[in-house]
Amino acid sequence: MAALLEVEHINAGYGFLQVLWDVSLKVEEGEFVCLLGANGAGKTTTLRTIAGFLKPTAGDIRFEGKSIAKTPAYQISQMGISFVSESLNLFTNMSVRENLLLGAYRVLDKKKQLEALDFVFSLFPRLKERERQLAGTMSGGERKMLAIARGMMSMPKLLLVDEPSLGLAPQVVVAVFEALQTLRKEGVTILLVEQNVPSTLRITDRGYVMEYGKIVLEGPSKELMNNEHVRVAYMGI
Amino acid sequence: MEATRVQPSFGERLMLNLRSRPAAWIMIAMTLGFLVIIGIFAGPSQLVNTIVTGGMWALMAVGLALVFGVMNIPHFAHGDSFMIGAYVAYFVFTPIQASLRDNPNPVLSAVGPLIAWAAAALVGFVVGAIMEKLVFYPLRQRTRKGWVMNTFLLTVGISFVLVYGTNLILGPNFRGVPNYWNMPPIVIGSVRLTMERIAAFVVAIVAIVAFWIFLSSTRTGRAIRAVAQDEMGAEMVGINLNFIYTLTFALATAMAALAGASLLFMFPAYPTVGLKPLYFAWYVVMLVGLGNVQGAIVGGFIVAVLQTLTQQFFGVSYEDVVPVVVMILVLLLVPNGIFGSEVKGIQEQ
Repeated sequence: MAALLEVEHINAGYGFLQVLWDVSLKVEEGEFVCLLGANGAGKTTTLRTIAGFLKPTAGDIRFEGKSIAKTPAYQISQMGISFVSESLNLFTNMSVRENLLLGAYRVLDKKKQLEALDFVFSLFPRLKERERQLAGTMSGGERKMLAIARGMMSMPKLLLVDEPSLGLAPQVVVAVFEALQTLRKEGVTILLVEQNVPSTLRITDRGYVMEYGKIVLEGPSKELMNNEHVRVAYMGI
Repeated sequence: MEATRVQPSFGERLMLNLRSRPAAWIMIAMTLGFLVIIGIFAGPSQLVNTIVTGGMWALMAVGLALVFGVMNIPHFAHGDSFMIGAYVAYFVFTPIQASLRDNPNPVLSAVGPLIAWAAAALVGFVVGAIMEKLVFYPLRQRTRKGWVMNTFLLTVGISFVLVYGTNLILGPNFRGVPNYWNMPPIVIGSVRLTMERIAAFVVAIVAIVAFWIFLSSTRTGRAIRAVAQDEMGAEMVGINLNFIYTLTFALATAMAALAGASLLFMFPAYPTVGLKPLYFAWYVVMLVGLGNVQGAIVGGFIVAVLQTLTQQFFGVSYEDVVPVVVMILVLLLVPNGIFGSEVKGIQEQ
Protein backbone atom coordinates (compact mmCIF):
# COMPACT_ATOMS: atom_id res chain seq x y z
CA MET A 1 0.00 0.00 0.00
CA ALA A 2 1.12 3.53 -0.71
CA ALA A 3 2.41 5.63 2.16
CA LEU A 4 0.23 8.32 3.75
CA LEU A 5 2.42 11.10 2.42
CA GLU A 6 4.75 10.76 -0.55
CA VAL A 7 6.94 13.61 -1.65
CA GLU A 8 8.57 12.78 -4.96
CA HIS A 9 11.48 14.67 -6.46
CA ILE A 10 10.20 18.15 -5.74
CA ASN A 11 11.95 21.40 -6.53
CA ALA A 12 10.67 24.50 -4.80
CA GLY A 13 11.73 27.96 -3.71
CA TYR A 14 10.88 31.61 -3.44
CA GLY A 15 10.76 33.44 -6.77
CA PHE A 16 14.07 32.99 -8.56
CA LEU A 17 15.70 31.46 -5.52
CA GLN A 18 15.43 27.71 -5.66
CA VAL A 19 15.75 26.15 -2.21
CA LEU A 20 14.72 22.52 -2.61
CA TRP A 21 16.50 20.30 -5.11
CA ASP A 22 14.95 16.97 -5.90
CA VAL A 23 13.62 16.27 -2.42
CA SER A 24 11.84 12.97 -1.84
CA LEU A 25 10.45 11.64 1.39
CA LYS A 26 7.74 9.38 2.67
CA VAL A 27 5.65 9.15 5.81
CA GLU A 28 3.76 5.94 6.60
CA GLU A 29 0.59 5.96 8.62
CA GLY A 30 1.25 5.99 12.36
CA GLU A 31 4.91 6.88 11.91
CA PHE A 32 6.82 9.60 13.73
CA VAL A 33 9.30 10.96 11.21
CA CYS A 34 11.78 13.79 11.65
CA LEU A 35 13.51 16.06 9.18
CA LEU A 36 16.84 17.30 10.47
CA GLY A 37 19.38 19.77 9.25
CA ALA A 38 21.17 23.03 9.88
CA ASN A 39 19.77 26.51 9.42
CA GLY A 40 18.87 27.22 5.82
CA ALA A 41 18.96 23.59 4.75
CA GLY A 42 15.41 23.79 3.43
CA LYS A 43 13.50 21.98 6.17
CA THR A 44 10.91 24.70 6.69
CA THR A 45 10.55 25.16 2.94
CA THR A 46 9.81 21.45 2.62
CA LEU A 47 7.04 21.66 5.22
CA ARG A 48 5.59 24.82 3.68
CA THR A 49 5.52 23.11 0.31
CA ILE A 50 3.73 20.07 1.70
CA ALA A 51 1.22 22.32 3.50
CA GLY A 52 0.54 24.14 0.23
CA PHE A 53 1.92 27.56 1.07
CA LEU A 54 4.56 27.11 -1.62
CA LYS A 55 4.01 25.34 -4.90
CA PRO A 56 6.64 22.90 -6.16
CA THR A 57 8.08 23.79 -9.56
CA ALA A 58 8.76 20.14 -10.32
CA GLY A 59 7.87 16.76 -8.86
CA ASP A 60 4.74 15.64 -7.09
CA ILE A 61 3.31 15.42 -3.57
CA ARG A 62 0.73 12.75 -2.86
CA PHE A 63 -1.44 12.44 0.21
CA GLU A 64 -3.42 9.21 0.54
CA GLY A 65 -2.56 8.58 -3.09
CA LYS A 66 -4.00 11.88 -4.34
CA SER A 67 -1.76 14.60 -5.75
CA ILE A 68 -1.83 17.76 -3.65
CA ALA A 69 0.96 19.62 -5.41
CA LYS A 70 -1.44 22.16 -6.89
CA THR A 71 -4.07 22.20 -4.15
CA PRO A 72 -4.55 25.47 -2.23
CA ALA A 73 -3.38 25.46 1.39
CA TYR A 74 -6.83 25.67 2.94
CA GLN A 75 -8.00 22.60 1.01
CA ILE A 76 -4.93 20.65 2.04
CA SER A 77 -5.80 21.55 5.61
CA GLN A 78 -9.35 20.35 5.00
CA MET A 79 -8.02 17.05 3.63
CA GLY A 80 -6.47 16.32 7.01
CA ILE A 81 -2.98 17.79 7.12
CA SER A 82 -2.41 20.18 10.02
CA PHE A 83 0.57 22.50 9.83
CA VAL A 84 2.06 24.01 12.97
CA SER A 85 4.38 26.72 11.66
CA GLU A 86 7.53 28.08 13.22
CA SER A 87 5.91 31.47 13.87
CA LEU A 88 2.77 29.67 15.14
CA ASN A 89 0.33 32.08 13.41
CA LEU A 90 -1.98 32.16 16.39
CA PHE A 91 -4.93 34.53 16.55
CA THR A 92 -3.40 36.70 19.24
CA ASN A 93 -6.47 38.82 19.98
CA MET A 94 -8.68 35.83 20.61
CA SER A 95 -9.02 33.65 23.66
CA VAL A 96 -7.39 30.23 23.90
CA ARG A 97 -10.79 28.63 23.50
CA GLU A 98 -11.58 30.61 20.36
CA ASN A 99 -8.22 29.70 18.87
CA LEU A 100 -8.94 26.04 19.54
CA LEU A 101 -12.45 26.25 18.11
CA LEU A 102 -11.00 27.81 14.98
CA GLY A 103 -8.61 24.87 14.85
CA ALA A 104 -11.74 22.76 14.47
CA TYR A 105 -13.09 25.09 11.75
CA ARG A 106 -13.38 22.24 9.27
CA VAL A 107 -15.17 20.02 11.82
CA LEU A 108 -18.85 20.87 11.45
CA ASP A 109 -20.16 18.51 14.12
CA LYS A 110 -20.50 20.47 17.41
CA LYS A 111 -20.20 17.28 19.46
CA LYS A 112 -16.96 16.29 17.77
CA GLN A 113 -15.62 19.80 18.39
CA LEU A 114 -16.23 19.47 22.12
CA GLU A 115 -14.67 15.99 22.13
CA ALA A 116 -11.60 17.38 20.45
CA LEU A 117 -11.53 20.22 22.96
CA ASP A 118 -11.59 17.71 25.83
CA PHE A 119 -8.85 15.71 24.14
CA VAL A 120 -6.45 18.63 23.74
CA PHE A 121 -7.22 19.85 27.24
CA SER A 122 -6.32 16.40 28.57
CA LEU A 123 -3.05 16.62 26.62
CA PHE A 124 -2.30 20.15 27.76
CA PRO A 125 -4.02 20.79 31.11
CA ARG A 126 -2.27 24.16 31.15
CA LEU A 127 -4.45 25.37 28.29
CA LYS A 128 -7.60 24.42 30.20
CA GLU A 129 -6.49 26.78 32.99
CA ARG A 130 -5.96 29.57 30.47
CA GLU A 131 -9.11 28.93 28.47
CA ARG A 132 -10.32 32.53 28.50
CA GLN A 133 -6.96 34.25 28.30
CA LEU A 134 -5.99 36.02 25.07
CA ALA A 135 -3.50 33.95 23.08
CA GLY A 136 -1.17 36.92 22.64
CA THR A 137 -0.68 37.33 26.37
CA MET A 138 0.66 33.82 27.03
CA SER A 139 4.25 32.70 27.45
CA GLY A 140 6.27 31.24 24.58
CA GLY A 141 5.90 27.64 25.73
CA GLU A 142 2.17 27.99 26.26
CA ARG A 143 1.77 29.52 22.81
CA LYS A 144 3.65 26.62 21.27
CA MET A 145 1.37 24.19 23.07
CA LEU A 146 -1.65 26.17 21.92
CA ALA A 147 -0.43 26.02 18.33
CA ILE A 148 0.06 22.26 18.51
CA ALA A 149 -3.31 21.88 20.24
CA ARG A 150 -4.97 24.01 17.56
CA GLY A 151 -3.40 21.76 14.94
CA MET A 152 -4.82 18.72 16.74
CA MET A 153 -8.36 20.12 17.05
CA SER A 154 -9.37 18.84 13.63
CA MET A 155 -8.05 15.34 14.41
CA PRO A 156 -5.72 15.44 11.41
CA LYS A 157 -4.36 12.40 9.64
CA LEU A 158 -0.95 14.05 9.50
CA LEU A 159 0.57 16.69 11.74
CA LEU A 160 3.44 18.80 10.39
CA VAL A 161 5.38 20.51 13.18
CA ASP A 162 8.04 23.10 12.42
CA GLU A 163 10.78 23.57 15.03
CA PRO A 164 8.72 23.43 18.22
CA SER A 165 11.86 23.82 20.37
CA LEU A 166 12.91 27.11 18.80
CA GLY A 167 13.33 29.92 21.32
CA LEU A 168 12.13 27.89 24.29
CA ALA A 169 13.80 27.27 27.65
CA PRO A 170 15.20 23.71 27.93
CA GLN A 171 12.56 22.66 30.45
CA VAL A 172 9.77 23.83 28.19
CA VAL A 173 11.37 22.00 25.26
CA VAL A 174 11.13 18.81 27.27
CA ALA A 175 7.44 19.47 27.92
CA VAL A 176 6.75 20.07 24.23
CA PHE A 177 8.61 16.92 23.21
CA GLU A 178 6.71 14.92 25.80
CA ALA A 179 3.46 16.24 24.36
CA LEU A 180 4.54 15.14 20.88
CA GLN A 181 5.40 11.70 22.25
CA THR A 182 1.96 11.45 23.81
CA LEU A 183 0.37 12.36 20.49
CA ARG A 184 2.41 9.67 18.83
CA LYS A 185 1.16 7.11 21.35
CA GLU A 186 -2.38 8.22 20.49
CA GLY A 187 -1.64 7.10 16.95
CA VAL A 188 -1.13 10.48 15.31
CA THR A 189 1.21 10.54 12.32
CA ILE A 190 3.77 13.29 12.74
CA LEU A 191 6.41 14.86 10.51
CA LEU A 192 8.68 16.92 12.75
CA VAL A 193 11.27 19.45 11.64
CA GLU A 194 13.99 20.08 14.20
CA GLN A 195 17.48 21.36 14.78
CA ASN A 196 17.77 19.79 18.18
CA VAL A 197 19.15 16.54 16.77
CA PRO A 198 19.86 14.28 19.79
CA SER A 199 16.49 14.75 21.52
CA THR A 200 14.61 14.46 18.25
CA LEU A 201 16.29 11.21 17.26
CA ARG A 202 15.49 9.80 20.69
CA ILE A 203 11.73 10.14 20.24
CA THR A 204 11.23 9.54 16.50
CA ASP A 205 11.04 6.34 14.44
CA ARG A 206 12.74 7.44 11.31
CA GLY A 207 14.63 10.47 10.11
CA TYR A 208 15.82 12.39 7.08
CA VAL A 209 18.84 14.71 7.09
CA MET A 210 18.85 17.72 4.79
CA GLU A 211 21.81 19.75 3.64
CA TYR A 212 21.78 22.57 1.10
CA GLY A 213 18.26 21.79 -0.04
CA LYS A 214 18.87 18.09 -0.62
CA ILE A 215 18.18 14.99 1.39
CA VAL A 216 21.60 13.51 2.18
CA LEU A 217 20.76 10.75 4.61
CA GLU A 218 17.77 8.73 5.69
CA GLY A 219 17.09 5.83 7.94
CA PRO A 220 15.69 4.65 11.26
CA SER A 221 16.45 7.11 14.05
CA LYS A 222 18.59 4.58 15.95
CA GLU A 223 20.85 4.10 12.94
CA LEU A 224 21.10 7.82 12.34
CA MET A 225 22.10 8.32 15.94
CA ASN A 226 25.09 6.04 15.38
CA ASN A 227 25.90 7.43 11.95
CA GLU A 228 29.37 8.93 11.80
CA HIS A 229 28.33 11.95 9.72
CA VAL A 230 25.37 12.81 11.95
CA ARG A 231 27.45 12.45 15.10
CA VAL A 232 30.21 14.69 13.79
CA ALA A 233 28.08 17.33 12.08
CA TYR A 234 25.05 17.65 14.40
CA MET A 235 25.89 16.17 17.78
CA GLY A 236 29.43 17.42 18.15
CA ILE A 237 30.81 14.05 19.15
CA MET B 1 -20.10 19.91 31.79
CA GLU B 2 -20.13 23.34 33.29
CA ALA B 3 -21.37 25.88 30.81
CA THR B 4 -18.48 28.17 30.01
CA ARG B 5 -18.90 31.44 28.20
CA VAL B 6 -17.13 31.16 24.88
CA GLN B 7 -15.87 34.69 24.99
CA PRO B 8 -16.32 38.11 26.55
CA SER B 9 -19.44 40.06 25.68
CA PHE B 10 -19.47 43.33 23.77
CA GLY B 11 -19.46 45.33 27.00
CA GLU B 12 -16.52 43.40 28.43
CA ARG B 13 -14.56 43.76 25.24
CA LEU B 14 -15.25 47.46 25.11
CA MET B 15 -14.14 47.85 28.73
CA LEU B 16 -10.99 45.85 28.03
CA ASN B 17 -10.33 48.04 25.05
CA LEU B 18 -10.97 51.23 26.98
CA ARG B 19 -8.97 50.42 30.09
CA SER B 20 -5.74 51.79 28.71
CA ARG B 21 -7.17 54.52 26.51
CA PRO B 22 -7.82 57.83 28.28
CA ALA B 23 -8.51 59.57 24.96
CA ALA B 24 -11.49 57.30 24.36
CA TRP B 25 -12.83 57.99 27.85
CA ILE B 26 -12.51 61.72 27.38
CA MET B 27 -14.26 61.60 24.00
CA ILE B 28 -17.09 59.43 25.29
CA ALA B 29 -17.58 61.62 28.36
CA MET B 30 -17.56 64.73 26.18
CA THR B 31 -20.05 63.14 23.80
CA LEU B 32 -22.44 62.31 26.61
CA GLY B 33 -22.02 65.81 28.02
CA PHE B 34 -22.68 67.40 24.67
CA LEU B 35 -25.73 65.18 24.20
CA VAL B 36 -27.14 66.71 27.38
CA ILE B 37 -26.22 70.21 26.14
CA ILE B 38 -27.91 69.50 22.83
CA GLY B 39 -30.94 68.21 24.67
CA ILE B 40 -31.19 71.37 26.79
CA PHE B 41 -30.27 74.09 24.30
CA ALA B 42 -31.32 72.72 20.94
CA GLY B 43 -34.38 70.86 22.08
CA PRO B 44 -35.16 67.17 22.41
CA SER B 45 -36.01 66.75 18.75
CA GLN B 46 -32.41 67.68 17.86
CA LEU B 47 -31.30 65.11 20.40
CA VAL B 48 -33.36 62.47 18.63
CA ASN B 49 -31.94 63.59 15.29
CA THR B 50 -28.43 63.24 16.61
CA ILE B 51 -29.04 59.74 17.84
CA VAL B 52 -30.61 58.70 14.53
CA THR B 53 -27.69 60.08 12.49
CA GLY B 54 -25.27 58.55 14.98
CA GLY B 55 -26.75 55.12 14.35
CA MET B 56 -26.44 55.64 10.62
CA TRP B 57 -22.83 56.84 10.71
CA ALA B 58 -22.07 53.85 12.92
CA LEU B 59 -23.69 51.51 10.39
CA MET B 60 -21.63 53.03 7.58
CA ALA B 61 -18.42 53.12 9.61
CA VAL B 62 -18.68 49.49 10.73
CA GLY B 63 -18.55 48.37 7.10
CA LEU B 64 -15.61 50.64 6.42
CA ALA B 65 -13.74 49.42 9.50
CA LEU B 66 -14.42 45.82 8.58
CA VAL B 67 -13.22 46.14 5.00
CA PHE B 68 -10.08 47.87 6.17
CA GLY B 69 -9.45 45.46 9.04
CA VAL B 70 -9.99 42.24 7.10
CA MET B 71 -8.89 43.16 3.59
CA ASN B 72 -6.70 46.27 4.10
CA ILE B 73 -8.73 48.18 1.56
CA PRO B 74 -9.26 51.91 2.20
CA HIS B 75 -12.73 51.82 0.74
CA PHE B 76 -13.57 55.10 -0.97
CA ALA B 77 -16.50 53.69 -2.89
CA HIS B 78 -18.40 52.98 0.31
CA GLY B 79 -20.59 56.03 -0.26
CA ASP B 80 -21.70 54.60 -3.57
CA SER B 81 -23.03 51.54 -1.81
CA PHE B 82 -25.14 54.03 0.16
CA MET B 83 -26.25 55.56 -3.14
CA ILE B 84 -27.13 52.15 -4.60
CA GLY B 85 -29.20 51.37 -1.52
CA ALA B 86 -31.07 54.67 -1.84
CA TYR B 87 -31.89 54.05 -5.52
CA VAL B 88 -32.98 50.46 -4.95
CA ALA B 89 -35.25 51.53 -2.10
CA TYR B 90 -36.71 54.28 -4.28
CA PHE B 91 -37.40 52.02 -7.25
CA VAL B 92 -38.85 49.25 -5.11
CA PHE B 93 -40.92 51.52 -2.90
CA THR B 94 -42.51 53.85 -5.50
CA PRO B 95 -44.46 51.07 -7.28
CA ILE B 96 -45.60 49.77 -3.90
CA GLN B 97 -46.73 53.27 -2.99
CA ALA B 98 -48.51 53.68 -6.33
CA SER B 99 -50.39 50.42 -5.99
CA LEU B 100 -51.37 51.41 -2.45
CA ARG B 101 -52.93 54.60 -3.76
CA ASP B 102 -55.30 52.61 -5.96
CA ASN B 103 -56.18 49.87 -3.53
CA PRO B 104 -55.21 50.56 0.07
CA ASN B 105 -53.92 47.63 2.03
CA PRO B 106 -52.92 48.18 5.67
CA VAL B 107 -50.49 45.26 5.79
CA LEU B 108 -48.64 46.28 2.65
CA SER B 109 -48.47 49.91 3.73
CA ALA B 110 -46.91 48.82 6.99
CA VAL B 111 -44.33 46.40 5.60
CA GLY B 112 -43.80 48.08 2.20
CA PRO B 113 -40.83 50.14 3.36
CA LEU B 114 -39.31 47.10 5.02
CA ILE B 115 -39.53 45.21 1.71
CA ALA B 116 -37.75 48.10 0.01
CA TRP B 117 -35.01 48.11 2.65
CA ALA B 118 -34.52 44.36 2.50
CA ALA B 119 -34.27 44.61 -1.28
CA ALA B 120 -31.66 47.36 -0.93
CA ALA B 121 -29.58 45.28 1.49
CA LEU B 122 -29.84 42.25 -0.77
CA VAL B 123 -28.83 44.17 -3.89
CA GLY B 124 -26.00 45.74 -1.89
CA PHE B 125 -24.80 42.29 -0.87
CA VAL B 126 -24.80 41.04 -4.47
CA VAL B 127 -23.17 44.20 -5.85
CA GLY B 128 -20.50 43.98 -3.13
CA ALA B 129 -19.77 40.35 -3.95
CA ILE B 130 -19.54 41.11 -7.68
CA MET B 131 -17.30 44.14 -7.05
CA GLU B 132 -14.93 42.05 -4.95
CA LYS B 133 -14.75 39.20 -7.46
CA LEU B 134 -14.41 41.53 -10.43
CA VAL B 135 -11.87 44.02 -9.09
CA PHE B 136 -10.03 43.00 -5.92
CA TYR B 137 -9.82 39.26 -6.49
CA PRO B 138 -7.87 39.59 -9.77
CA LEU B 139 -5.56 42.17 -8.20
CA ARG B 140 -4.91 39.88 -5.25
CA GLN B 141 -4.04 37.00 -7.59
CA ARG B 142 -1.60 39.23 -9.46
CA THR B 143 0.30 40.94 -6.63
CA ARG B 144 0.05 42.06 -3.03
CA LYS B 145 2.73 44.71 -3.53
CA GLY B 146 1.54 48.25 -2.79
CA TRP B 147 -1.83 46.75 -1.95
CA VAL B 148 -3.20 49.61 0.12
CA MET B 149 -2.30 52.29 -2.41
CA ASN B 150 -3.53 50.22 -5.36
CA THR B 151 -6.84 49.37 -3.76
CA PHE B 152 -7.31 52.98 -2.68
CA LEU B 153 -6.96 54.07 -6.32
CA LEU B 154 -9.23 51.25 -7.44
CA THR B 155 -12.01 52.20 -5.03
CA VAL B 156 -11.80 55.83 -6.14
CA GLY B 157 -12.07 54.59 -9.72
CA ILE B 158 -15.05 52.39 -8.88
CA SER B 159 -16.66 55.39 -7.24
CA PHE B 160 -16.24 57.50 -10.40
CA VAL B 161 -17.64 54.74 -12.58
CA LEU B 162 -20.67 54.25 -10.34
CA VAL B 163 -21.40 57.97 -9.90
CA TYR B 164 -21.13 58.91 -13.57
CA GLY B 165 -22.70 55.65 -14.73
CA THR B 166 -25.71 56.45 -12.57
CA ASN B 167 -25.71 60.01 -13.84
CA LEU B 168 -25.68 58.75 -17.43
CA ILE B 169 -28.51 56.26 -16.97
CA LEU B 170 -30.76 57.90 -14.39
CA GLY B 171 -29.78 61.54 -14.73
CA PRO B 172 -28.90 63.95 -11.94
CA ASN B 173 -32.48 64.31 -10.66
CA PHE B 174 -33.35 63.91 -7.02
CA ARG B 175 -35.56 60.90 -6.37
CA GLY B 176 -36.85 60.92 -2.87
CA VAL B 177 -39.58 59.51 -0.72
CA PRO B 178 -40.69 62.21 1.73
CA ASN B 179 -42.29 59.70 4.02
CA TYR B 180 -42.36 55.95 4.07
CA TRP B 181 -45.41 55.69 6.26
CA ASN B 182 -48.48 57.89 6.04
CA MET B 183 -48.68 58.23 9.76
CA PRO B 184 -48.84 61.28 11.97
CA PRO B 185 -45.71 61.72 14.07
CA ILE B 186 -45.72 60.44 17.60
CA VAL B 187 -45.65 63.33 20.03
CA ILE B 188 -44.05 62.91 23.45
CA GLY B 189 -44.02 66.22 25.28
CA SER B 190 -42.34 68.65 22.94
CA VAL B 191 -40.71 65.93 20.82
CA ARG B 192 -42.18 65.01 17.49
CA LEU B 193 -40.99 61.61 16.37
CA THR B 194 -41.78 60.56 12.84
CA MET B 195 -42.12 56.89 12.14
CA GLU B 196 -39.26 57.14 9.61
CA ARG B 197 -36.79 58.35 12.22
CA ILE B 198 -37.74 55.69 14.72
CA ALA B 199 -37.53 52.98 12.06
CA ALA B 200 -34.17 54.24 10.76
CA PHE B 201 -32.74 54.16 14.26
CA VAL B 202 -34.16 50.73 15.03
CA VAL B 203 -32.81 49.37 11.74
CA ALA B 204 -29.34 50.72 12.48
CA ILE B 205 -29.28 49.27 15.98
CA VAL B 206 -30.72 45.90 14.94
CA ALA B 207 -28.26 45.62 12.03
CA ILE B 208 -25.29 46.51 14.21
CA VAL B 209 -26.30 44.16 17.03
CA ALA B 210 -27.05 41.30 14.63
CA PHE B 211 -23.73 41.89 12.94
CA TRP B 212 -21.92 41.93 16.26
CA ILE B 213 -23.47 38.63 17.29
CA PHE B 214 -22.57 37.20 13.91
CA LEU B 215 -18.93 38.27 14.29
CA SER B 216 -18.48 37.16 17.86
CA SER B 217 -20.29 33.86 18.11
CA THR B 218 -20.78 32.16 14.78
CA ARG B 219 -18.30 29.95 13.00
CA THR B 220 -18.12 32.17 9.93
CA GLY B 221 -17.92 35.36 11.99
CA ARG B 222 -15.05 33.90 13.95
CA ALA B 223 -13.38 33.03 10.66
CA ILE B 224 -13.70 36.66 9.52
CA ARG B 225 -11.97 37.84 12.68
CA ALA B 226 -9.34 35.15 12.25
CA VAL B 227 -8.54 36.40 8.75
CA ALA B 228 -8.28 39.94 10.12
CA GLN B 229 -5.71 38.79 12.66
CA ASP B 230 -3.57 36.27 10.81
CA GLU B 231 -4.15 35.26 7.22
CA MET B 232 -1.67 32.41 7.17
CA GLY B 233 -3.05 31.07 10.44
CA ALA B 234 -6.53 31.23 8.97
CA GLU B 235 -5.44 29.24 5.94
CA MET B 236 -3.70 26.74 8.19
CA VAL B 237 -6.96 25.88 9.93
CA GLY B 238 -8.71 25.47 6.59
CA ILE B 239 -10.42 28.83 6.07
CA ASN B 240 -10.91 29.75 2.43
CA LEU B 241 -9.57 33.32 2.34
CA ASN B 242 -11.24 34.21 -0.94
CA PHE B 243 -14.63 33.24 0.42
CA ILE B 244 -14.09 35.33 3.56
CA TYR B 245 -12.94 38.35 1.53
CA THR B 246 -15.96 38.22 -0.73
CA LEU B 247 -18.32 37.74 2.19
CA THR B 248 -16.77 40.62 4.14
CA PHE B 249 -16.99 43.01 1.22
CA ALA B 250 -20.55 41.95 0.43
CA LEU B 251 -21.64 42.42 4.06
CA ALA B 252 -20.07 45.87 4.27
CA THR B 253 -21.76 46.91 1.04
CA ALA B 254 -25.09 45.52 2.25
CA MET B 255 -24.88 47.55 5.46
CA ALA B 256 -24.12 50.75 3.56
CA ALA B 257 -26.99 50.05 1.16
CA LEU B 258 -29.30 49.49 4.11
CA ALA B 259 -28.24 52.84 5.54
CA GLY B 260 -28.93 54.52 2.20
CA ALA B 261 -32.34 52.89 1.95
CA SER B 262 -33.50 53.73 5.44
CA LEU B 263 -32.33 57.34 5.16
CA LEU B 264 -34.05 57.93 1.81
CA PHE B 265 -36.50 60.30 3.51
CA MET B 266 -33.56 62.50 4.62
CA PHE B 267 -31.23 62.03 1.63
CA PRO B 268 -33.10 61.66 -1.68
CA ALA B 269 -31.31 59.46 -4.20
CA TYR B 270 -29.01 61.22 -6.67
CA PRO B 271 -25.65 60.18 -8.12
CA THR B 272 -23.39 61.83 -5.53
CA VAL B 273 -25.61 61.33 -2.50
CA GLY B 274 -23.03 58.95 -1.05
CA LEU B 275 -20.29 61.53 -0.65
CA LYS B 276 -21.43 62.95 2.65
CA PRO B 277 -22.01 59.58 4.33
CA LEU B 278 -18.65 58.46 2.93
CA TYR B 279 -16.81 61.41 4.44
CA PHE B 280 -18.55 61.06 7.76
CA ALA B 281 -17.86 57.34 7.91
CA TRP B 282 -14.20 58.12 7.23
CA TYR B 283 -14.13 60.73 9.98
CA VAL B 284 -15.45 58.05 12.28
CA VAL B 285 -12.91 55.36 11.42
CA MET B 286 -9.98 57.77 11.49
CA LEU B 287 -11.11 59.15 14.81
CA VAL B 288 -11.48 55.76 16.50
CA GLY B 289 -8.61 53.97 14.76
CA LEU B 290 -8.56 52.23 11.40
CA GLY B 291 -10.04 48.76 11.29
CA ASN B 292 -11.51 48.92 14.80
CA VAL B 293 -15.08 47.63 14.49
CA GLN B 294 -16.28 48.19 18.07
CA GLY B 295 -14.72 51.63 18.07
CA ALA B 296 -16.60 52.47 14.88
CA ILE B 297 -19.93 51.77 16.59
CA VAL B 298 -19.21 54.25 19.39
CA GLY B 299 -17.48 56.65 17.00
CA GLY B 300 -20.59 57.00 14.85
CA PHE B 301 -22.37 58.68 17.75
CA ILE B 302 -19.37 60.86 18.63
CA VAL B 303 -19.25 62.26 15.10
CA ALA B 304 -23.03 62.75 15.01
CA VAL B 305 -22.83 64.80 18.20
CA LEU B 306 -20.03 66.93 16.76
CA GLN B 307 -22.11 67.44 13.66
CA THR B 308 -25.25 68.54 15.51
CA LEU B 309 -23.26 70.85 17.78
CA THR B 310 -21.72 72.52 14.77
CA GLN B 311 -25.07 72.92 13.07
CA GLN B 312 -26.54 74.46 16.20
CA PHE B 313 -23.78 76.83 17.19
CA PHE B 314 -21.81 77.60 14.00
CA GLY B 315 -24.23 76.91 11.16
CA VAL B 316 -24.65 74.08 8.69
CA SER B 317 -21.82 75.23 6.43
CA TYR B 318 -19.29 74.38 9.14
CA GLU B 319 -20.61 70.83 9.43
CA ASP B 320 -17.48 69.30 7.91
CA VAL B 321 -15.02 71.66 9.57
CA VAL B 322 -15.49 70.75 13.19
CA PRO B 323 -15.30 66.95 12.87
CA VAL B 324 -12.18 67.31 10.72
CA VAL B 325 -10.55 69.70 13.19
CA VAL B 326 -11.29 67.26 16.00
CA MET B 327 -9.94 64.44 13.86
CA ILE B 328 -6.70 66.33 13.22
CA LEU B 329 -6.29 67.08 16.92
CA VAL B 330 -6.93 63.45 17.84
CA LEU B 331 -4.47 62.19 15.24
CA LEU B 332 -1.84 64.65 16.49
CA LEU B 333 -2.27 63.53 20.08
CA VAL B 334 -3.19 59.83 19.61
CA PRO B 335 -1.97 58.79 16.15
CA ASN B 336 -3.62 55.35 16.35
CA GLY B 337 -7.06 56.82 16.96
CA ILE B 338 -8.84 56.97 20.29
CA PHE B 339 -9.64 53.26 20.40
CA GLY B 340 -6.42 52.14 18.74
CA SER B 341 -6.20 50.68 15.30
CA GLU B 342 -6.36 46.95 14.67
CA VAL B 343 -4.62 46.51 11.38
CA LYS B 344 -2.33 43.67 10.48
CA GLY B 345 -1.17 44.42 6.99
CA ILE B 346 0.12 47.94 6.53
CA GLN B 347 3.45 47.30 8.21
CA GLU B 348 4.04 44.17 6.16
CA GLN B 349 3.98 45.88 2.81
